Amino acid sequence: MTSRFEPFLGLSAELTAFSHFDLLGTGLAESYLATLDKVVGGEITDALLAAFTALPPPESEARIQAVRTTILGHELLGDVARALIKLWYSGTWFELSSAWTERFGPRPANITFVVSPDAYVEGLLWKAIGAHPAGAKGQGFGSWAFPPKIPAFSPALDFQNLT
Amino acid sequence: MDSYSIKTLDELKEFLFRAMQLEHATIPPYLTALYSIKPGVNQDATQVLRVIVVEEMLHLTIAANILNAIGGKLDLVRPDFVASYPAALPDGETDFKVGIQAFGREALAAFLKIERPARRPEHLIGKGLIYRKTPPGITALGSHPRHEDFHFYSIGEFYSTIEEGIKYLEAEAHGAGTTIFTGDRSRQITSEYYYSGGGELFPVTDLKSALEAIELIIEQGEGDGGGIYDDDDHELAHYYRFEELVKGRYYQKGDQPGHPTGPHLQVDWEGAYPIKENLKVADIFEGSELREAAIAFNTRYGEFLQLLTRAYNGQPSLLLEAVPMMFEFRNMILELIRNPLPKHPGKNGSPTYEIPGGIKQPAVTRQAEVNA
Repeated sequence: MTSRFEPFLGLSAELTAFSHFDLLGTGLAESYLATLDKVVGGEITDALLAAFTALPPPESEARIQAVRTTILGHELLGDVARALIKLWYSGTWFELSSAWTERFGPRPANITFVVSPDAYVEGLLWKAIGAHPAGAKGQGFGSWAFPPKIPAFSPALDFQNLT
Repeated sequence: MDSYSIKTLDELKEFLFRAMQLEHATIPPYLTALYSIKPGVNQDATQVLRVIVVEEMLHLTIAANILNAIGGKLDLVRPDFVASYPAALPDGETDFKVGIQAFGREALAAFLKIERPARRPEHLIGKGLIYRKTPPGITALGSHPRHEDFHFYSIGEFYSTIEEGIKYLEAEAHGAGTTIFTGDRSRQITSEYYYSGGGELFPVTDLKSALEAIELIIEQGEGDGGGIYDDDDHELAHYYRFEELVKGRYYQKGDQPGHPTGPHLQVDWEGAYPIKENLKVADIFEGSELREAAIAFNTRYGEFLQLLTRAYNGQPSLLLEAVPMMFEFRNMILELIRNPLPKHPGKNGSPTYEIPGGIKQPAVTRQAEVNA
């Protein structure tokens, strides 16, 4: 693990509203950091991690504001952060918009792709909706007779303020 | 008759409880090794472990059927039911420890010992039980209820003693115009309630079906009289399936034990997460998410055993509810195993299988868990 891994994990937890444990539990954190490096390059990835590290203390109003202004609302980093959220949820890197590439230059690896077969299987979206990915992680014979199990999210996280 | 033969029905019931304990004890080590395998590698090993763990679940249920057939009461939440790992298992003149660890050479060496076809050598025939050298305080599986300081020569011998006990007690009952098979038939678990679980599940109602049930357990594990296949010659015994992985080669019909000549197979010995062996909750940094998750798993596993207890005690349809629960375990275990263990560099988490005792609540239904 590198010194970039911890901030990457922290950033990912903040962006996805899943815990470090959940994120590490996918087994994909390292490969997603590598995906960022591959697609947008080490420099932009580092800028994103630096923006995260510079945020005001957790659970403060100022932090939520800063996430909006210095990350999600940032011209360069905003689209990258949103692509990272989608990556965690779906296992797919979604190509950055043409507006972004016109402004910051095209990246050869910036195409829509599924990172790996496990990335699809471990997408957070399945956990968030209490379902299993189609064709994988089956829930067993007879499981459809029971209601889905939707995980409880930490009450500390306030989705309203992030959107 | 040997001094360690089974002489009373109560003793037979205790033996069968211990048989269930023994069958169950193999499940956490196999399951953990299975889920420790990293994605994309060791497909042969994954398949072997998956098949075997499912067959062990079958054995547990078969033992439950036998115990139910003789009117025994089943209790998988009895505090001593789940072994504390590492636990000791008989293996010839010594015993050995079986523990919770990642898939690898060491794990396979232990698994081979669990399933080893062990017959007494000439000089030990008729010599009685083996004195146990395991220190006290370690769960000793497959031991004799009346002779806790001794163990059987092998798991096979443990089952043979049960087999002889059943024959002896049934003959005695028969002489008195009765039978030991007085259990309520509605408690028998049959394939109707047991979906695709590693083999046929038939009701145990008399001497013949009881002996067939024990034979099935022994054959799937150790093979038929030391042969590599079971008596129908179509299924490889567990011991030889594990041996295929060690030797990197499949068995085929006509092979001699120890000498597989079939196609080669690939094993990536590094292809598993480095989980800490025999982890306990107390070893996990307090306040960490990993610790919470390990406790949550243990609680859920305790509820699972409680559900099984109810299923085996006259509500077999509850087994259908146990199926999704087992798949839930897979997800929980994978998460534990992929997370680094705080303050133990290079080591990952693991399920601990420390089942909370004395859970009085019935297993919660899934409905109650939904957070809408």
